[in-house]
Amino acid sequence: MANKILAKDKLDDFIAKLGQGAEVFAPKQDGAKTTWQAVSSADDVDFDFVNTDMSPKDFFFPQTECMMHFKNDPGAEDGMIFQAEEVIATPKSILNMRPCDAKAFQILDMIFVQDEMTDDLYWRLKREQSLICGLACNEPCPTCFCSSVNCGPHHEVGQDLQLVDLGDKFLVKVLSEKGEAKVDDLPDAADADEAKAAELKASAEAAMVSKVSTDKIAEKEILELYEDAMWDRVYEGCLNCGTCTFVCPTCHCFDIQDEVQGDYGRRVRNWDYCMSWLFTMHGTGHNPRGTKKSRVRQRFMHKFKYIPVKRDGEIGCVGCGRCIQMCPVNIDVRQVVDQMNS
Amino acid sequence: MQQRTEKIREMAKQLLADGAVDVVIGYRKGTVAMREQPFVAHTPEEADELVWTGFCCNNLANLMPRREDKVGVVAQGCVSRNIVGLIQENQVDRDRVKVIGVPCLGMVSKRKVEAAVDFKPIFEAIEDGDKLIVKGKGFEETLERKQMLRDNCFTCQHRNPVIDDGLVCDKVDDAAGGDIDKMAAPWEELEAGERWAKFNDTFSDCIRCYACRDACPLCYCHVCFVDEAKPQWCGKTQDTADVQTFHILRAFHCAGRCTDCGACESACPMDIKMRLLTSKIEKDVRALYNYTPGMDIKATPPMSVYRPDDPQEFIK
Amino acid sequence: MKNLLEYVGIEPGRLHFSWISSAEAEKFQKTVMAVTDAVKALGPANQMIKQISPEGAAEPDDEQEVA
Repeated sequence: MANKILAKDKLDDFIAKLGQGAEVFAPKQDGAKTTWQAVSSADDVDFDFVNTDMSPKDFFFPQTECMMHFKNDPGAEDGMIFQAEEVIATPKSILNMRPCDAKAFQILDMIFVQDEMTDDLYWRLKREQSLICGLACNEPCPTCFCSSVNCGPHHEVGQDLQLVDLGDKFLVKVLSEKGEAKVDDLPDAADADEAKAAELKASAEAAMVSKVSTDKIAEKEILELYEDAMWDRVYEGCLNCGTCTFVCPTCHCFDIQDEVQGDYGRRVRNWDYCMSWLFTMHGTGHNPRGTKKSRVRQRFMHKFKYIPVKRDGEIGCVGCGRCIQMCPVNIDVRQVVDQMNS
Repeated sequence: MQQRTEKIREMAKQLLADGAVDVVIGYRKGTVAMREQPFVAHTPEEADELVWTGFCCNNLANLMPRREDKVGVVAQGCVSRNIVGLIQENQVDRDRVKVIGVPCLGMVSKRKVEAAVDFKPIFEAIEDGDKLIVKGKGFEETLERKQMLRDNCFTCQHRNPVIDDGLVCDKVDDAAGGDIDKMAAPWEELEAGERWAKFNDTFSDCIRCYACRDACPLCYCHVCFVDEAKPQWCGKTQDTADVQTFHILRAFHCAGRCTDCGACESACPMDIKMRLLTSKIEKDVRALYNYTPGMDIKATPPMSVYRPDDPQEFIK
Repeated sequence: MKNLLEYVGIEPGRLHFSWISSAEAEKFQKTVMAVTDAVKALGPANQMIKQISPEGAAEPDDEQEVA
């Protein structure tokens, strides 16, 4: 699949093509906030944002989602039966997703859709109807460390297309058949364009200020890491709020509960966060992660040790840096990982 | 500011070396711009990392309830009032606390600085007297520090600690200069419909991360009302009624106790101005009960005691 | 609480306070009727309503309990 060139004055056509049979979304910066918005023309689209405040995971994993409903009415034909809600999966074209966020979806795919018994339809049906057109980062920000965690500013995983801003035009990397169908009318890229993109990739990687090493973490025994004295200090400032979890593109924990109003009830899934004491609270009153230290340790062990062990070396973090920016008490994942790796 | 840092280190090191405290709770330099890191120093060597800047935006009294050790804590006016509040509520034992008192010049609002540089990415912000030098992607600008202060710092009425075991510098004027009665509860002037619209709008971005609650020293309940399940007082969904219930009730639980320290707004990742609610309550408490929280360790907060002369016109 | 709810724009007539002792049965009855009338006069509430059931909001006369 040959790469293509998208001239900047052809953006409207491109967005229209992405919008055929789908709704197009792209990040838009409005003052302090950079959020995902529906777009229909090039004027709506920003190309010089850093990254969105919240990750795009709620396209496929909404913060609140109704899964099924029921009627508490023995007399009714459909009473006392759980009925699945129609999964609201509409076709979406997500434009200008950063490679870190796109890679996060690949990791989440491994978790939400594992085998016959673990096939989360609410996730999968939405994913299958989406097209992802990434935007490579030419200028990583100081808190990005994607290249340290099996990702990178021009990483191609998880995308159907990827735009690389060459200055006067975009190189469009064609990464899947779904993507190819949207750019078959664009001119092929020349060798010089490919070379320029490669140069930009190299300079972006060189410009990455934040680095962490995870090689030793892979070698250490789980229990050795778990019992390490470092956790006695890391947790001290943590508020145990849900900020890091909710802004993180790879965090995926949820809570399911039933809500009832009169004779009608519904089962909803909401985002949950493992930093909460309630997350692991058992009905008996026992709490296996009843201390702040155990919960903080869990977060980092899960992302940097348990997931790599369970998923063939994949790291549960894509280096997007949102948690570093947003943590109210400046708990810095880079510092924690460096300690884990020492 | 540097003087405060040095004196904090000196006092902290002394307290730790003498064994008067087991740890000192303060701040050390953060890894991102405009946010220092709450830090617990266990030894005099670690105490050398303590700093005091205009980016110390949390409330360290938050780390104090349910501790069994003797703590030293670096506290400015609002934080010291929260310490008094926690002592009144029996969450902190005065005999096991040493307060390193800091007369405060106010904290910088990261959000205001971001707005002042048109939201260009910021890499570093440095305080220089009454100026703030901001460096970022392709720019360097100098701003007036006073204009970048947090809203609550701008209208602060108690910048000096109300309780201390030593001050790090001379006291400053208690009042910061802003008029709190003018700035508090801005929606009072509006019609009901407009107030409802503003209220909805203010909390529309809330993601229920509870950073505001968890940053707040008043919120130390073992089981917060939002975590109750039998019955579930407040739903966990993103339905606006659930989100609004959380914020209204939390504000109400802080009535007569909130010192307007601003840690909630500084913690919020979505830049929600929940002080628009709490400032109304704080103003009412002052007007109705003539009470300012945390000023007097022996006082009894109005919400925890009934007095025959309590205002009652609203009760039929 | 009354001031706070009014401040966010909720109609003042929805929240009432009264001191009533268990020995004041008549006052209790009169107060309940007065509050019921006052709230009914305001019509269905449309603020801070969490609508779970798809059949629409409960009628004002309906004694449904919201869980």
